[in-house]
Amino acid sequence: MTVISAPAGSGKTSLLRAWAGRPGQPHRIAVVQVQRDQHDAQQFWLALLGAVRQACGPASRAEPPAATPGFDGRAMVDRVLSELADARDGITLVIDDLHELASPDALAQLTRLLVNLPPNVHAVLATRRDLPLRLQQLRLAGELAEIRAADLRFTERETRELLEASGIVLSEAGVALLHQRTEGWAAGLRLAAISLAGHPDPERFVTAFSGSDRTVAEYLIAEMLERQPDEIKDLLLRTSLLDRVNGELADLLTGRPGSERILLALEDANAFVVSLDPERTWFRYHHLFADLLRLELRRALPEDAPALHRRAAGWLTRHGQVADAIRHTQAAGDWPEAARLLADHSFSLTLDGQAQTVEALLRAFPRGALADDPELALVRAGRTLARGRLDEAAAHLAVAETYAETTPPDRQRRLRVGIASLKLALATRRGNLAGVIEQAELLASPVTGQSGQDIALDSDLRALALMHRGIAEAWSPGFPDAERHLQEGAALAREIGRPYVEVACLAQLGFASKTRPFATARRRCREAIALADRHGWGAEWMIAPALVTLAASMTWTGEFDEGERWLQRTERALQTDTGPGITLLLHMTSGMLQAGRRRHREALEEFSAAEHLGSQLERSHALASQVTGWLLATHARAGQPGQARALLAALDHERAGSGEVGNARAVINLAEGDPAGALGAVQDVLDGTAPVTGHVTVAEAHLLAGLAHRDLGDQRAANQAAERALALAEADRLVLPFAMTGSADLLEALPRHQTAHAALLADILDVLHGSSLAAQDQTASPPAEKLSPSELRVLRYLPTNLSRPEIARELSVSLNTVATQLRSIYAKLQVSDRSSAVQRARELRLLSAGPTR
Amino acid sequence: MRVHLPALDHGLMDPAPARYAIRIHGHLGATVLSAFPALVPQHHGADTVLTGLLDRSALYGVLAEVEALGLDLVEVRQLTPQRRSPEFGDSRSP
Repeated sequence: MTVISAPAGSGKTSLLRAWAGRPGQPHRIAVVQVQRDQHDAQQFWLALLGAVRQACGPASRAEPPAATPGFDGRAMVDRVLSELADARDGITLVIDDLHELASPDALAQLTRLLVNLPPNVHAVLATRRDLPLRLQQLRLAGELAEIRAADLRFTERETRELLEASGIVLSEAGVALLHQRTEGWAAGLRLAAISLAGHPDPERFVTAFSGSDRTVAEYLIAEMLERQPDEIKDLLLRTSLLDRVNGELADLLTGRPGSERILLALEDANAFVVSLDPERTWFRYHHLFADLLRLELRRALPEDAPALHRRAAGWLTRHGQVADAIRHTQAAGDWPEAARLLADHSFSLTLDGQAQTVEALLRAFPRGALADDPELALVRAGRTLARGRLDEAAAHLAVAETYAETTPPDRQRRLRVGIASLKLALATRRGNLAGVIEQAELLASPVTGQSGQDIALDSDLRALALMHRGIAEAWSPGFPDAERHLQEGAALAREIGRPYVEVACLAQLGFASKTRPFATARRRCREAIALADRHGWGAEWMIAPALVTLAASMTWTGEFDEGERWLQRTERALQTDTGPGITLLLHMTSGMLQAGRRRHREALEEFSAAEHLGSQLERSHALASQVTGWLLATHARAGQPGQARALLAALDHERAGSGEVGNARAVINLAEGDPAGALGAVQDVLDGTAPVTGHVTVAEAHLLAGLAHRDLGDQRAANQAAERALALAEADRLVLPFAMTGSADLLEALPRHQTAHAALLADILDVLHGSSLAAQDQTASPPAEKLSPSELRVLRYLPTNLSRPEIARELSVSLNTVATQLRSIYAKLQVSDRSSAVQRARELRLLSAGPTR
Repeated sequence: MRVHLPALDHGLMDPAPARYAIRIHGHLGATVLSAFPALVPQHHGADTVLTGLLDRSALYGVLAEVEALGLDLVEVRQLTPQRRSPEFGDSRSP
């Protein structure tokens, strides 16, 4: 790593450019120039990632880095490191103006990046002052090279060379004098060169300069400006207050056309004006140069500065550079106007991933100014909410509402929509469903007859409102519209180009599909995950609902290994705190997995954690009784029926009356050796009078009844119960209820020829005996020809022990028919024997009697 | 560059403003001086001394500006009421 640390104007950037521009560079170079006063860590990292991707060339497959409202610095650094490592050839990462990085988070993240650089990467940092980067290890290992001010200073010989290269003729004494006066400072020398080029009497200039006590920069800039035609001087002064300038903007500020020509000429003539793009449309002045010009502007044209800031702000707003526009409005001292602009755009800025920029802009308002401004209060509410300070956010919202009347009438609607939207977000964070519904309905009304900006703002809000509402509804029992709202939200988000909201909606849609056939839910989850991966958000917290739902789905069908992998991915995505809801799902699914593997102690830990988190939500959630039921049942199975009874006694009436808790009661009874009691406990579930979360509870109830019948010696009833459970499980190929209830014996006692679900039975027994089902082989090629329905019927009997005549009898067809069909089946599956046919059929998921995918 | 920052008697940050004298090499002209409106300039030989009442934040703001303008910082000194060095009796106007 190389660090160039030297004061302003020492020539750092020139050095970097000259070095990068050398022909025959062996390495690819990624350059980031940190923007002035960069508070926003995400903006910095996006620029860096973008530069790395550009350097790696078209080989990079992923989309350009997109900003997200919530920024995970750790994940970003990992991403950068992996893309750097992928590059294989040497890469040089250049970060210029690092002292402008005002975000402490970003510096910490950068340190981690630098300490973990892959061996093919060389980093070069340029800064005005030494930074707290903790590079001691590198320094001690001799892997850090430093270039400091003393190294960059021009020697007398180099001064002479510079002057000669600029065509300036100066005596030896003159060169020495110049060198001495500037102390070899690059900026000073270049400024001097500008004035000396074409000067009638260079010696006199140098003598006068040397005899002056003025600071070098000031003297030379004043000289340089004096020698410029008025037109150019005016342009330089007036545009000095911009961070970047183009011809159009400069024309606007000078009130004269032709600025682009001047800027291009300036760049060609000296190194204080540099273009920022290959087409040379945007330019920037050297910071030192711009700072001095700005001071001169304030001194020479004091009344003009605010007007110039305003004009710039107007242009920038029209061209979508809102954050800069707000800065200029603040610089003009127009605080109320700046507040309006910020209020109008804070929302979209946040969605664009510029949350920290919004905070920096907020901080720039003088303390106490506009304390009662409802629109600014709204912005503050938004920021504090995003940081999880819910009570503070509520307080700001209260201010916004109290003073809402003071807003001009034409802005009232926008303010109220903004307030409703934040209350929605707040209610969601607190798990307050009633609050969510109330606010979401307010926002649901469609948009007509408003300005373009209003519509855009409202669309943003509507998409978010649909998302929040869908999420809240998915989590509460009795709200069937969750899926519809989430689908609407995703569609709207796609329309208005908000991929982040779209992915969030689709991820929650996966979760909300839990009452659908598994095939649908899995498809939706995979779609959401694929979309997230495409944007590089595969490890973000908002995809967690889809990840965990997929994990749960795998666990339900007995694919425990696969389910465990998805759970691990979910855990990684939940590194940042996302609230009790999703973590609850994680624990619940882990509990299911452990229970399926009969690891009762571990399952108990997970279900307890889920139960505890559930109690933190303001309202009871959709899966509450399921969690409680399993918690009690696991206590009983772990040999703690007393503990289970104690918890049972503490339940409220509603929870205690649910089907899931009824099942749990049966488990306790069975554990206590009371099969008759168990039968009584599941009665309500079996006859449909108890409320259940889904049909899995009924399947479970049948199994528990079966176990009870078996304990009571009634084998026929036990078989019937098992068969009913299988029937319920067939459509989704459920395995978990059988695993959790420990029904291996029950199933084995069921005669094969008495079941219509032999294939499923065989699969379940496989899992119960310890072998996990193979994950669906996504790459398995489907059969060349599809199997006909009658062939499928025969296929499903293959896993059983039935002979061909027996199968023929079951299906009421001739033996010949069966033989023919088997030949066809073997041919289509490209196998030659029965067990291979079964194996292949399993891989291709052909054994299910449910709806085909 | 020598920096005389005040001794911390009780180990606490003293937030109250204090008078500081900041010495820069070279004579500062009107343009650069406009960057330090809270400070009074005086020439001392080839240097300029900027004096004024600053709290800590303001002090570091001034130092940041000195850095940004590429000025040559020579000394930062906190002035206590008793400590009036003879140099400061010299009041040649800029």
